[in-house]
Amino acid sequence: MKTLSGDLKKDVDALKKLLPAEDILTFSFSSEKGLDFCILFADPITDKELLGEQVIRPLKHFSDKPTADMVGSFITSPEMKKEKELQKLAAEVLAGNPVILWDGADEGVVAGTKKVFTRAISEPSTDVAVKGPREGFIEDVKTNTSLIRRRLKTGELKIEMLEVGRRSKTFVALCYLEGTAVKKTVEEVKKKIGEIDIDIIPDSSYLTHFLASRPYSLVKQVGTTEKPDIFCAKLAEGRVGLIVDGSPIALTVPYLLVEDFQSSEDYFVPPYRATFTRLLRLFALIVAIYLPAFYIAGQLFKLQLFPVKLLLTIAGSIRDIPFSPSLEMLLVLLVLEVLNEASIRMPKYVGMALSVVGALVLGETAVSAGFVSTPAIIIIAFSGIGLYAVPNLIEQTSVVRLAMLLVAGSVGTYGIILLTAFMLLYLVTTENFGTPLLAPFSPIVGRDLRDSVFKYNLGSLDTRPRTLKSPNRRRLK
Amino acid sequence: MKHKLASRQIYLFLSCIAPVGKLVFLPAHLARYAKNDLLFPAALEFLVQAGAVFLVLLLAKREKSLHEMLEEVFGRIAASVLVCIFALFLLFCSLLPLLEQQLFVQSEFYDTLPSLVAFGPFFIFSVYLCAKPLASLGRTWDILAPFAAAGLVGILLLSVGSADFGALAPVGAAGGSGFLRATASATSWFFDAALLIPFLGKFEYKKGMAWKGALCYLGGGAAVLLFLAVFYGIFGPIAFNQLFGFSKTSKYFSGITVLGRIDYLFIYSLALVMAFYVALPLQGGIECVVQAVGEKKYLRTFLSIAVNALLFALLVLLEYRLRDVLSVISDTLYWIFPIFFLLVPVLLLPLRRRRRES
Repeated sequence: MKTLSGDLKKDVDALKKLLPAEDILTFSFSSEKGLDFCILFADPITDKELLGEQVIRPLKHFSDKPTADMVGSFITSPEMKKEKELQKLAAEVLAGNPVILWDGADEGVVAGTKKVFTRAISEPSTDVAVKGPREGFIEDVKTNTSLIRRRLKTGELKIEMLEVGRRSKTFVALCYLEGTAVKKTVEEVKKKIGEIDIDIIPDSSYLTHFLASRPYSLVKQVGTTEKPDIFCAKLAEGRVGLIVDGSPIALTVPYLLVEDFQSSEDYFVPPYRATFTRLLRLFALIVAIYLPAFYIAGQLFKLQLFPVKLLLTIAGSIRDIPFSPSLEMLLVLLVLEVLNEASIRMPKYVGMALSVVGALVLGETAVSAGFVSTPAIIIIAFSGIGLYAVPNLIEQTSVVRLAMLLVAGSVGTYGIILLTAFMLLYLVTTENFGTPLLAPFSPIVGRDLRDSVFKYNLGSLDTRPRTLKSPNRRRLK
Repeated sequence: MKHKLASRQIYLFLSCIAPVGKLVFLPAHLARYAKNDLLFPAALEFLVQAGAVFLVLLLAKREKSLHEMLEEVFGRIAASVLVCIFALFLLFCSLLPLLEQQLFVQSEFYDTLPSLVAFGPFFIFSVYLCAKPLASLGRTWDILAPFAAAGLVGILLLSVGSADFGALAPVGAAGGSGFLRATASATSWFFDAALLIPFLGKFEYKKGMAWKGALCYLGGGAAVLLFLAVFYGIFGPIAFNQLFGFSKTSKYFSGITVLGRIDYLFIYSLALVMAFYVALPLQGGIECVVQAVGEKKYLRTFLSIAVNALLFALLVLLEYRLRDVLSVISDTLYWIFPIFFLLVPVLLLPLRRRRRES
């Protein structure tokens, strides 16, 4: 490891050699007593105003023989550290922290005058709550950790900064409550993150791949949230959280499938209402996945599935359709997915026009032209809405729905049952960080059922979930 | 994955999953020989089987696998041979539920009779299931038990209004020979205690597990008896002709004309549970072979593919003789079942005592 030589010119040259980019600038100046200083900084990400105010202005009056401690005490930046190694100094410059050097310096001083680009804290669009906190995470890790620290004012809250990505050197904040989170899980998360050898981490979703026990699985294995209140609640239950710099989506492990059927709002409304809405979400998801499949299987293999009057209506509406029921349903599903994909990415004013085109032109006209039947559109529309009842599982459930549709079109209802059996078996054997994905239903953990798809009164939720094996069991005294 | 089954999971299997296997052909089969007395042979079978379950669960106290118990007395090679014989028996056990399932799927899931290939995907599922270690089944039972319970209760609720329980009287109409014949042939459907034997050594043994397990089994049996009563109450003298009983009793529910076949919700719930139940003897058999040969990489997967391919080939070969095979198993070869489900635990218990004395 190369260290500073003490020769200002030589050291600046060595650092410039390590950082040849054009936006890495040097600023040389002398104090009133004639001492030479040089500051290296990354132009776009250094707050030059702060640099001038907190570093250059005080150093102008510097008069003693400079040492790192003396320089450090002279500058007024609250964040400051000393560093000897050239590589580490270069890394600090790249992180936006200017490096101060002077003639005879065997240690450089790093000032924390990084320019922080942040958007305002706003309500996340994917997790809207009518009642309860509306703050959402943003892309800056420090702002995000401050949101957590504000909610958990305890020394037990540990936030460890890890660095991932050979090139991006992305900060990942590992958060947990000491004494509440399982030590083994914390160590395992640290180990898994330490083993990641990737060039850049643009988003937290990259980490999920490395944290999952079955990385190629369709099944979600890491919890996600954009809301600090949910994140803190999960930490308080004994989970370990990860916040990635540059991503507004925080991760939590261990993850249970039932988490995605819960919403923060459930804890701010009466338990009866919360239980009802959770069951409603489950019902909506089941209907969304199975309804198109059973509709196809019924038409192709088992007409008895429909009541007689409905059967007559369906028969009337599909009489002139040129496609087979499964092809018709697949086409409608494809159109829905295309509309969905396009409407998310289109500018808002075009999006309005798109919904008119989607609803009127593709829906109404396709029916009157005899391309697709009305029941198919109704079923796919209902299924599409149903999937959004559990928005965090959309990526998985839309694929499962498609698989169900294909199986129903080829094998019928028995195929649907077998695929369900397959999925059940796969899900019950999936576990991450030693926690079964389907807990508290499989294995049954009676006490944890109180806050699953059911929601008991807060007074009954006096212990942390047993599934998470927290060493600190009691949360309500 | 945890390698021990919880006692709760065993109870759930005995009370909710095991009864599901008795709802397909058994009701019609009992009605054929015992007529309106069909409850008595069924009750006797459940009592005997509960006794066998009690014995097997007593053996579980030793927390040793079947192979380990036999090895202590007979040595490794003899134990391996005996365990492989038991595996063959489990393979034989799987035939009847498999044939039932296949005929059930072909006739109840399609408006027109499909080719045998329609049942083929079951074997893909079975290969996947059998390749998993037995311990993973415990969690499956946790999740399947509510499906089984909801399915059976739902069907009973929809059917009970259409049943005329007077059809069960007078008692003794079938006579002693009818009772004996029904009891003997129904034995082919009762091998749940034998299904537990491959799990030995994988239980989390708890005090009182044996009698609790037997009681759970009797509880499940009571639900089946209730179903049999409803079944005969609905169909009466033509009950012997009503195969796949559980999918037929509820279709006379008055609300069906308005709501459609809502009973299919419950029938499909039970069909889901059956898919697991049917593959269980195969899984048990594979576990026995793994115990005999020793755990090796891909052995389970290889055995699973081989056994399922063999059974699928057998079904294809016997496609037009499936009913004959069924009647051979239930009317001629029924005596094989008690030899294994009753004699194996009865013989193993003294071995335990002998070891204690030594």
